[in-house]
Amino acid sequence: MPSLFSLKNVRFKDIIHYPDMEIPQGAATFICGESGSGKSTLLKLLNGIVSAETGEVLYSGRHIEDYDPVTLRRDVLLCGQSTFLFDKSVQENFIEYYKYRDLHPINQDKINTYLKICAANFRLDALCVTMSGGERQRVFTAICLSLRPKVFLLDEPTSALDDMTANTMMSNIKAFCNENNITLIVVSHNRALAQAYADNTIMLAGGIRHE
Amino acid sequence: MSEIVSLNIWQFALIYLLLIIVLLIMKKCKINQTKLLVAASFRMTAQLALAGLVLTYILKNPHPVFTLAYLLLMTGFAIYVTLSRNKSINKKFKIIVGFSLALTGLSIVCFFIMAVVGVNIFNPQYTIPISGMIIGNAMTGVSLGLRVFNENIKSKQLRIDSLLNIGVTPQKILIPFVNQAVETALLPTLYSMIGMGIISLPGMMTGQILSGTLPATAILYQIAIIIAICAVTCLSVFCSLYFGYKTLYNKRMQMSI
Repeated sequence: MPSLFSLKNVRFKDIIHYPDMEIPQGAATFICGESGSGKSTLLKLLNGIVSAETGEVLYSGRHIEDYDPVTLRRDVLLCGQSTFLFDKSVQENFIEYYKYRDLHPINQDKINTYLKICAANFRLDALCVTMSGGERQRVFTAICLSLRPKVFLLDEPTSALDDMTANTMMSNIKAFCNENNITLIVVSHNRALAQAYADNTIMLAGGIRHE
Repeated sequence: MSEIVSLNIWQFALIYLLLIIVLLIMKKCKINQTKLLVAASFRMTAQLALAGLVLTYILKNPHPVFTLAYLLLMTGFAIYVTLSRNKSINKKFKIIVGFSLALTGLSIVCFFIMAVVGVNIFNPQYTIPISGMIIGNAMTGVSLGLRVFNENIKSKQLRIDSLLNIGVTPQKILIPFVNQAVETALLPTLYSMIGMGIISLPGMMTGQILSGTLPATAILYQIAIIIAICAVTCLSVFCSLYFGYKTLYNKRMQMSI
């Protein structure tokens, strides 16, 4: 598998020192490690939300700083751990996010397809404000996935889900990404999940910390 | 019309008794701001007394330098107060707020004095009180607008992060916050305009009528100053935030709030 991302000598804020790594294209890579090892920051480095102080992050062979940052984030889309939804219905949330991205909203059938992938079979007029944390997380993940990035970054996607829902969602997402040639990069502290769905696993040790 | 009754200093002192009522209510409601009340009353008294002395001198010995110095001092102080109420914003943002406040305030003052009233900008009798009202209101507006803007972006951090993560431009994310803050800062002025003349005779008009100006003239001045205040509030808050919000992200479209 050709490598999509490669990190060399990357340090972030003198706190986290990442080991050199290659992340393959078209596969599901899981990033595991203790809290504080820089898992979430790694995802942010990959889509340019933060920049590394030293070292280089290459995406498709080019330095990540050479890409237009907004275009990069649309290609390498980060579905964060804390989810934000507007105080509106499920469908209206899709519409709001699409408006922010300057896109025409997708139709109801398509919305339902993405909700189903994320094990979020809610009515389109269900109000997000009354949903539980896990339900909101799945709706948000569905919105992110529906934006059809080339690389889908997921930060602890199953942290608020029970095992069965987590498995349904992960296996659906992985199948969808495989079919559509989307590279999947998942941060998770759930080892069982990683074992079940990872084509490739990167372990981050505690990081090298400077006191 | 009769000349205004000069206040006897002892009779005048009676007004301070009203502060005791404020003090009692603050005690009753456990508002722990007694010090602030005392400090505010004291500063207000001292600052106005000083302004009175300075104004007496300037009006007797008018000179463009005095008027100019007063204007600059007032503007500088307005900027200082606004920024000290909004300490958390970054340095570039502060510079933009300072320039916006000064430029919009002074241009509205010039327009009012030179075009609408039609007197020399260095005439202290007109320029000093009118610029005080205009710049003072700009200061209140910008302070309020900045506070609302800051509180909102801090409380909506999750929304901002989520949108940024999925490739929305910082401009598109932040503009709604700018618009909302401009609206919030403008509303008090608009609401006060609605009740004006019926439930309130505004300060400037009251002052002019008390000192013997014909109500017809006083009303024209009042209308003009209210429109100027509305414009300066809108303009100063808009410029501060519209140019200022761009300091919240860098070339890599990374945000630091």
